[in-house]
Amino acid sequence: MLTAFAEHLRTIWPDVDWREHDDVIHADIGARYLRAMTKYFRAQQWRIGTIVARENGRGLDVRYCFYATLHPGWVELRVELDPGERTLPSLTNVAIAADWFEREIEDLFSIRFTEHPRLGDFVLHNDRLPENLGLMRPQVQSAADIPEQTREWRPKRVLEEEGAFVMTVGPVYSGEAESALFLLETVGEDVVRAVPRLFFKYRAIEKIAEGRTVQDVLLLAERCNGTSAIGNGLAYCQAVERATGITVPARALSLRTFFAELERLRHHMTSVREICASTALQVAESQALWIEEQLLRVSGELTGHRYLFGVLAIGGLMTDYDRGALETAVADVELLVRRVEPLRKALENASSFLDRIEQVGIVSGEAARAFEIVGPFARASGVCADMRAVQPYDAYPSVRFDVPAETEGDGYARLRVLFSEMIQSLHIMRQVVAGLPAGAVVGNTPAGAGSALGWSEAPRGASVQWVECDAQGIVLRYRLTPPSFRNWHGFHVATEDFAFQDFPIILATLDLSVAENDR
Amino acid sequence: MTAPSLSLNLWAIAVCVIGAAFALIVRERLAPRVLAIACCAAAALTFAGGAICLAAGPSGDVALWTLPVVGSITIGTTTIGSWFACIAAIVYLPTSLFTLRYLERYAESYSLRAFAIWYCALLAGIIGLFICRDVTSFFIDWEVIAIASALLVAFEWRHVRNARAAFVMLGMSEAGTMAALLAMLLARGGTLWFGGPPANLNGPLSWVVFLLAFFGFGVKAGLLPINSWLPRAHPIAPGNVSALLSGVILNMGVYGIVLVNMVLAPSHHPVQGLVVMIVGAASALVGILYATIVDDMKAMLAYSSIENIGIVVTALGTALVFMAVGQPLLAGIGFAAGMYHLVNHSAYKGLLFLGAATVDVKLGTRSMNALGGIIRVLPVTTAFFFIGVFAISAIPPLNGFVSEWLTFQALLRSAELAPLTYRVIFALCGAALALTAALTVTCFVKVFGMSFLGWQRSERPKPAEAPLSMLVSMGLLALACVALGIVPTYVLPVIGRASTAAFGSDVVSGTLVPPFFNPSSPPRPLPPDFVATFHALGAQIGSWLPGRGLVVMLRGGAANPVVFAMSTTYLCLIIGALLLVTYLVVRFVTRTRRAERAKTWTGGMSRLPAEMTYTATGFSNPVRVIFDAVFDPTEVENTRETIHQHFRSAIRRTRQDVFLSERLLSEPLTNVVQSAANLLARMHHGRLSAYVGYALGTLLIVLAIVSL
Amino acid sequence: MKNWFLRGLTAGIRTEPLTEGAVSAALSPGLPKTTEHTGTQRAEMLAAACPNEAIRAVEAVAEVDEDRCVLCMRCKGRDGQTWRRDVAWAHPNADSQGPLEPRFRRSLHVRIIDAGDCGSCLNELAQMNGPAYNLHRLGIFITPTPRQADVLLVVGPATRQMQDALVSAYEAMPEPKRVVAVGVCAASGGIFGPSLMSAAGVAAIIPVDLVVPGCPPPPHAIIDALRLVCGQTARPVPR
Repeated sequence: MLTAFAEHLRTIWPDVDWREHDDVIHADIGARYLRAMTKYFRAQQWRIGTIVARENGRGLDVRYCFYATLHPGWVELRVELDPGERTLPSLTNVAIAADWFEREIEDLFSIRFTEHPRLGDFVLHNDRLPENLGLMRPQVQSAADIPEQTREWRPKRVLEEEGAFVMTVGPVYSGEAESALFLLETVGEDVVRAVPRLFFKYRAIEKIAEGRTVQDVLLLAERCNGTSAIGNGLAYCQAVERATGITVPARALSLRTFFAELERLRHHMTSVREICASTALQVAESQALWIEEQLLRVSGELTGHRYLFGVLAIGGLMTDYDRGALETAVADVELLVRRVEPLRKALENASSFLDRIEQVGIVSGEAARAFEIVGPFARASGVCADMRAVQPYDAYPSVRFDVPAETEGDGYARLRVLFSEMIQSLHIMRQVVAGLPAGAVVGNTPAGAGSALGWSEAPRGASVQWVECDAQGIVLRYRLTPPSFRNWHGFHVATEDFAFQDFPIILATLDLSVAENDR
Repeated sequence: MTAPSLSLNLWAIAVCVIGAAFALIVRERLAPRVLAIACCAAAALTFAGGAICLAAGPSGDVALWTLPVVGSITIGTTTIGSWFACIAAIVYLPTSLFTLRYLERYAESYSLRAFAIWYCALLAGIIGLFICRDVTSFFIDWEVIAIASALLVAFEWRHVRNARAAFVMLGMSEAGTMAALLAMLLARGGTLWFGGPPANLNGPLSWVVFLLAFFGFGVKAGLLPINSWLPRAHPIAPGNVSALLSGVILNMGVYGIVLVNMVLAPSHHPVQGLVVMIVGAASALVGILYATIVDDMKAMLAYSSIENIGIVVTALGTALVFMAVGQPLLAGIGFAAGMYHLVNHSAYKGLLFLGAATVDVKLGTRSMNALGGIIRVLPVTTAFFFIGVFAISAIPPLNGFVSEWLTFQALLRSAELAPLTYRVIFALCGAALALTAALTVTCFVKVFGMSFLGWQRSERPKPAEAPLSMLVSMGLLALACVALGIVPTYVLPVIGRASTAAFGSDVVSGTLVPPFFNPSSPPRPLPPDFVATFHALGAQIGSWLPGRGLVVMLRGGAANPVVFAMSTTYLCLIIGALLLVTYLVVRFVTRTRRAERAKTWTGGMSRLPAEMTYTATGFSNPVRVIFDAVFDPTEVENTRETIHQHFRSAIRRTRQDVFLSERLLSEPLTNVVQSAANLLARMHHGRLSAYVGYALGTLLIVLAIVSL
Repeated sequence: MKNWFLRGLTAGIRTEPLTEGAVSAALSPGLPKTTEHTGTQRAEMLAAACPNEAIRAVEAVAEVDEDRCVLCMRCKGRDGQTWRRDVAWAHPNADSQGPLEPRFRRSLHVRIIDAGDCGSCLNELAQMNGPAYNLHRLGIFITPTPRQADVLLVVGPATRQMQDALVSAYEAMPEPKRVVAVGVCAASGGIFGPSLMSAAGVAAIIPVDLVVPGCPPPPHAIIDALRLVCGQTARPVPR
């Protein structure tokens, strides 16, 4: 199908050299084609996977990576900027989903995107760091290269009404919440506009990865968001394996699938627990906490680490796991999932609980498609983009599973999607263990320079990464686009025009991670 | 020759007239001084005259001149009139002192001489109103007051809006005056003199007089649904005029109602009293609802005045009901409550308006959304305003608490009414007033918290504290609030003397401050356990304390033999003692600890800009949302601008509230008159032949009538 | 509503006893231990395998700096590396003020600050309030405001853009106060710091009293640290 699509592209833009390699169509284009091509791809229901800006010694080049949602296949458009040139046309008038990508690249690479109305003060906060710092450029190497300053920062206000004010939540708030600042514009009862100010937790993972070995960068990928270690780690491993030509053995692929689903199950239990906690339904929260703890213990018992750190390795896994231990783990998980069932029924019969999440935080399918939301968040609004089904990897082509989806797009729909996906994860785990192939768990290790995309369906949605490494196995450029980065973009759609009291609940049902977004 | 009370009042009027004359001839710059001296002196004289009348009894009526058609112009002091005159003086004196420096803001743009003249004329009219004893002089005085107050309200006449608001005020006032005049003429029957026995009206005439008088004077008093002029007039009037408007002019309406319905033609139908109560309770509730949501300080105080007069009128309604069913002692409680609330309202509303005027002068704005942190720049003004806020929220031991307590006592006495419907209406009015009290606290917490506390929400220059005359005037009113609150047992007998005009005898003191506590009157025999209860309550503190005991109490009826007692005096002492003891204990217990001053915790943000603090509109938005049906705002603008379809660049929303009275009465009435006028305008088509035809037709009709 | 009440009652008591001794892998990932080897070769191989310089080869001893171990599991089960399975990981920092006064022993309020944590330390902290670990039975509570907090519990490598908030939270706490750095990122910066945007541990920004290594430390280790801070337990010999 991809070949046919490439042919189609050649007929539309014949003066562009479209090359097909593996499952990716590459092309080097001039910036003038960007808008038209983006519009075309989106009309064919392709989505933006990631946008990678990169210093290539001479200047900058930017890669726009799209993936199809109806069949496997990627397109990578590369735009090279001349040495003195630092502007590109903004895609926000044809694809709003490119908005945050462009803001991030502008902040970190000092590229200006013309006609983008909101550049500045995104990743690097203007009150402490100067504008045009160009953190990802080579001239900034250590903390000493960053000048400190203190400037006044005021939020950008949109609501013009008598008595309107900005209610701030954060960056330090609640008991165990992650650090993020929310600016809620209101006149007192309804939140008219909610804008998050993120990147307080920005650790510059992409920058500090440069110069490290591919094995060490795997640690960074896992610990970008510790509760999605396998999800993000898998995408990274696949990118490196594709870039350097490593073949992963079948047993390792199946086991990777197994651990990805184990993590997804436990992660969804965490999300259910957070939703119960946000509505102050303490009995349900306690029960969910207990089940989540038991799931962590199953992970710990099986692998030695409760959050599955140190399970993945480039080319496969760190160690092998015997069938008996895997079957015990599956049996334990099955018992726990059976305990989830009565909890789910009780929640769905608790009218006071449902009142708080039903018809609240609604995101329409149209908005989800426009902002290109991913993961269970999107599936609750009817947008079924699941990397496991759409761009299959590992053992997913050989297991049968459903991708649950709902249409209402409110908090209750998201809760139902979480429960359904837990059942599906258990289903996949059972199939994997039943059909586990024999063999090694670590593949060959050919070295070689190269760059490639990697993707996976992390518990929160599609995680898309791009790695470039040299022949010695040193990472030259690491690009990490986690699912939360895409979903935080659509956050304000869910929270606008709802009451203050609904805000923490909507936040909990959206299942967003600040650490994953901030990187 | 004339009694001292009357002559003092006449001297007061003379001082006002002399003051006006002086204001006409002196330089612009000196006009405020003339005003202050003249009106302070006149107010003091009035107060003295009123006090003497209340102490010694009314002076006789003196006929001044005899005119051809209307008979003699009679003047004389009455106890009820003197009570109102004293209230007017309590407000007028500090306001006149305040005006001394307040008028400086108008020095360049408007004529200070004109202000001084109207001001003195207004005072002369007010003093005169309370000594008028016949219909003619009453209404001449009434018109003087109406015109002078309209001129003062429209003082900043350069703004078209102000002229229109004053016009509405004057127009509605005239309509009310016509109705009231008609009522008075009907009430008095043949004579125009106020003296003589009260008229005994029956049947439909009684109702006609009642409705005309109540709604006629109700326009001036600011009752629903005839008060649409009030929220328009207050915000445009100069600050000191607003204080007078709320503290003195509204009382005129109440005086009129009391005069007609209690003194001249006492009502015999309990239903009339119930109507009064319902209108009062509705005014109170609607008034405070609007007060809670507005942003302009003066508009808020204007709506709050509607609320307070509503409470006064409700209390007077209970008095009317009890009077009509033949229970004068219970009526006395309602009457005392109403009169006490009237003086309280004048005192604290005057104080609050003067405070708002000070803020306006010093900070240039009255918008609560734009203010904030005034306590740091105007601490003394804040302190006085705080006393006003405390008083109006009916917090013991200040004066608001006393009158609210008495009002609720009057409403609770519904147990002694026979018909169920009366009891139900009493209960509903009581519930409405309770809700009103709660909303009052919300409203004034919002005013004080949002304007005076917190952070400054807009860039403003830092002014100095207000000048001494302004502070002293606010201090005097604050002192009045405190005094009226702490020693109610000394105020109630004065009201009792005023009640003799309406009830014939002192019905207040007998109920509320039992006579045996008055050391001058001989003790009545009472059951010993009763006496023991009163002793236990501390009402009698031995014979060496002069004057009365310090507890206000009333006994329930035969069906309800309990004693309701309240003493703000003791409360004040106890609260003070508790505060002192707590302070000492805390100082002792924490003597080794160190208190640190640290930055406010702002959730980790390095600094919180002004737009991130709560605004006044945000504070009261929940009330707006709950009572949305009452406000029924019209959406003027609701646009959402986007760039590239998804970037929100601006959301503009404007909503406008139309006052309920306007929606209920003024607008429909205007529409009816307008459509009638449009209908009639069809006659004016310009055809000469038709006009000749009209003339012919009229002639024929006249001939036909003459021939009959 | 009665449904939930009965639900909770029939679930029974699920709180487990606390422990300082050895626990299974389900409860704790453990930490590498300083191991004495027969020759320098093994120690050097282990030091080379460690990505964060947590193992140093000092002659024949593979010295483990627990504050730098990110639990990558590369040294586990190879070259004779031993592993500690107890949970008494917390140790005082260089300029620690020691535990709080006795009046805090049964009533401790903790403010958690996320200074760049990846999410796993925060998740372990959330587990502490669950039925299995039940922090409340020890009289330890999580509070949302630093004004009422006795202990500031910091997770994450103190990212540059969170440093102001961290300092202001520390200054907003009244005396007496203690700071507990939980996790290897807070202890030494982990694999993120010191770098452009992260510090070499929280101690570079605010004074730290107690450090709990691990990536992430299990709830048992964090509870052990909190009990040390308020004086419910005491270590005989501080490290």
